[in-house]
Amino acid sequence: MPQKFILALLGLFNVGFSFGQGPEHHIPEQAVTVFSINNQKVLSNISLNELISYDFMDEIHQELFDRSTENKTLEDAGMDFNKRLNVFYGKTNYYELSGFTFGISNQQNLFQALDDFEAVPSPYPGIQLYRSFFNHLLIDKNNALLIRVEPLEDYVNQLTDSTWYSRGNLPPFYNEEEDPDNPDYNPIPQENNEINEKNYYELRDSLQYTLNQEYLTIILKDLYVSNNNLFRKDSNFRDLLTHEAAGVFFMDNSRNIDRAKNLWYLKTFLPTLYLDVQDLYEGNIITGDLLLLDQQIQFNLKAHYGDALGSIYTSLNDAKFDKNISNYIKKNQAAYFTYNVNLRNAYEKAFEVIVPILSKTKDPEVSYDLLMVKLANALINKDALFDAAKGSMFITFGGIEKVKTKRIEFFYDEVTFEYGEREAEAEEDMPIFTIGFSTKRQDIPEMVLEHLSQVTSKFQKQGDLWVYNKAIFEAAPLYLLNKKDLFILTNDSVLAKQYPNGYGKDRLSKKTLKGLKNAGSMAGYADLQALVNKFPKEFLSGSNQALIESLRSKSGTMHMHSGKTSKNSTEVQLTYDYTESLNSGKYLLDLINTLYLLNK
Amino acid sequence: MKFKYLFFLIPLLFSSCIEIIDDLTLNADGSGTLKFTVNLSSSKIKVNSILALDSLDGQRVPKLSEIEAKIGQFKSLLLQQDGISNVKTEFNAVDLIVKLTVDFKSLNQLQEGIQASLNAMNLNKKVTKEDVQWMSWEAGTLKRTMPEIFQQELKRYENNDISLLKGGSYACISRLPGQILKTSNNNCKINPSKTAAMLRINTFDLKNEPSILEHTLSTSP
Repeated sequence: MPQKFILALLGLFNVGFSFGQGPEHHIPEQAVTVFSINNQKVLSNISLNELISYDFMDEIHQELFDRSTENKTLEDAGMDFNKRLNVFYGKTNYYELSGFTFGISNQQNLFQALDDFEAVPSPYPGIQLYRSFFNHLLIDKNNALLIRVEPLEDYVNQLTDSTWYSRGNLPPFYNEEEDPDNPDYNPIPQENNEINEKNYYELRDSLQYTLNQEYLTIILKDLYVSNNNLFRKDSNFRDLLTHEAAGVFFMDNSRNIDRAKNLWYLKTFLPTLYLDVQDLYEGNIITGDLLLLDQQIQFNLKAHYGDALGSIYTSLNDAKFDKNISNYIKKNQAAYFTYNVNLRNAYEKAFEVIVPILSKTKDPEVSYDLLMVKLANALINKDALFDAAKGSMFITFGGIEKVKTKRIEFFYDEVTFEYGEREAEAEEDMPIFTIGFSTKRQDIPEMVLEHLSQVTSKFQKQGDLWVYNKAIFEAAPLYLLNKKDLFILTNDSVLAKQYPNGYGKDRLSKKTLKGLKNAGSMAGYADLQALVNKFPKEFLSGSNQALIESLRSKSGTMHMHSGKTSKNSTEVQLTYDYTESLNSGKYLLDLINTLYLLNK
Repeated sequence: MKFKYLFFLIPLLFSSCIEIIDDLTLNADGSGTLKFTVNLSSSKIKVNSILALDSLDGQRVPKLSEIEAKIGQFKSLLLQQDGISNVKTEFNAVDLIVKLTVDFKSLNQLQEGIQASLNAMNLNKKVTKEDVQWMSWEAGTLKRTMPEIFQQELKRYENNDISLLKGGSYACISRLPGQILKTSNNNCKINPSKTAAMLRINTFDLKNEPSILEHTLSTSP
């Protein structure tokens, strides 16, 4: 009898654990990143159109962008504010999944907003299933999961190529009739005569559709048949949801496929070694609390890791801040970032942790590399090496300045209108950056620069200052300062020529310097108005362009600093101060969007 | 090889400080030489920073070597067109200057040749006759404007950086077989011997009023 009672209790517990509660129980376990938003605090004044304009909704919102969402708040759309909104994203070697889970207060209103969904027979007992062109919506009582699954393009292409060539086809992108060197070339595309056989693109579409269905089924079966979900699987995630915060952030870095890409070679060719190295990342989970305060949002981030990785990080963070750095940061600097680590300690610890792992392998190539590492460790003068690169560095952004460049100018004879070319002065806008590194061996960069100046006339010494002419896009100079135990590279001619010894009284205040000293390994500051709104996106790569675009028109300041580092975790705090009295939830969503773009 | 992203270059040109020289020499029989120069050296930092990216606004950014190869392909295709000869191209990748020189038997054949060559390059946009019909020579009268393909891009460009647009220019030079009797555009300069005319407009004014580049030159028989 007691056994039956216990079993019954366990059964009840299990059912409750799986489905009984909120929408967080519907997040697939394949999700790697989750933002869980407390609806009452954040979303009550946000319109549906505003919400779907965020990048974190981008993967799933195509069909929401129609008139059905106009002038509707989330509440009008049937969303239950007493439950959390969870936005998730995940990526495996084969597919990406994204979506959100939420509570429903009125299903009829929900379908007025999501009017492109049609009901389809559900293979999952008790679960209603709806489908639109891109997405699937699953409703379990008053909780919903909106999900999109896409096979990775590279993987689909790989499978398509493989199938295409195995059928004896020629390369799909070459058509001798389209070759401009071919005299019979006809630029008008020709129809495929083989109507019974799929062309390359049709084959790829078929494979993509099949894989899409297969992966979706795997995820949904796992969720609704095997009752597996992220909440059930991960105690860190469960714990996170108990926090009193406007929103929480979760990322399982041990399953972060983009990080794992760096280990691809090991995984493919040395799987045993990969597992050993992968062990280093075991338990590497990043969690964060988003707190809404008075005209401030705080994001408290905590990186959790295992003992091995922890011992390396602890050694890395055992560093003293190089106060010389503060000489080269202005008190009204638009943005700056300082990084302060003990490279030598970290090297010694990494050597101690990683060499035994590598020593286990019998692979000749790894063994040879290991021998080189051991020889270098024994023969290289580590004192000189780590005095040259001590581990402290800083980066500043000084806004956009006009810099002097050269251009080719055409000049015209007013009588004949003939024209010629001549070199002339020009001015172009350029973001001003400075990057500096701590060093105790100023003779080493000096030696390198002396050598370079003998090799090319582009390197010139002007007093204490080194100038690398036309270094940036064959147009603007780069200045190199080797002073005050710092090696500095900058395109800021004012800093290089007028303040080579630092900004003096205009440098960072003592209070700010104290903050940097206490900040741990990282600290940063950004005035959004000065940084984001002036930064030309042409200077950034694709993902960073999206990040900058997401922050356009925002004002306020951001502070970031790392905190305590222990053997099992490191803390980082990001603070966003704003002065405008807009909806604080909107600011929070802006910040979540930024974090989403950073982590995607 | 498809080169669908090459049209990406046109908006790029007009978001930079661009100098265009459209220099036409006509003979009495309607044949002549076109020298077309595009100079982006005033925006080297901006253009090179864009060219250093993989993509911008969701479109792939071509590499300098790909642009150079495409200019070479355009030259080969143009040489194959009826009434076209002596095609020369020059690409200064350091200062970002592209030059095209081409001899033609008639302006119609030149414009049709350019249209056919661009379409043969499999660009993502079909080039129509109107896109490249910017000059005509009839009964001793030369009619000129700016190629429609450039006009469309100029219209789309926002006044984000007026100084960039004001720094750019489009110079229309015409060297004719007879004496120029009159011009429809008062801003057009005529040389003392009345055999050549030049109209130079900055790209800011052109954006606001593309028709200011339109002009006709009537010559003596």
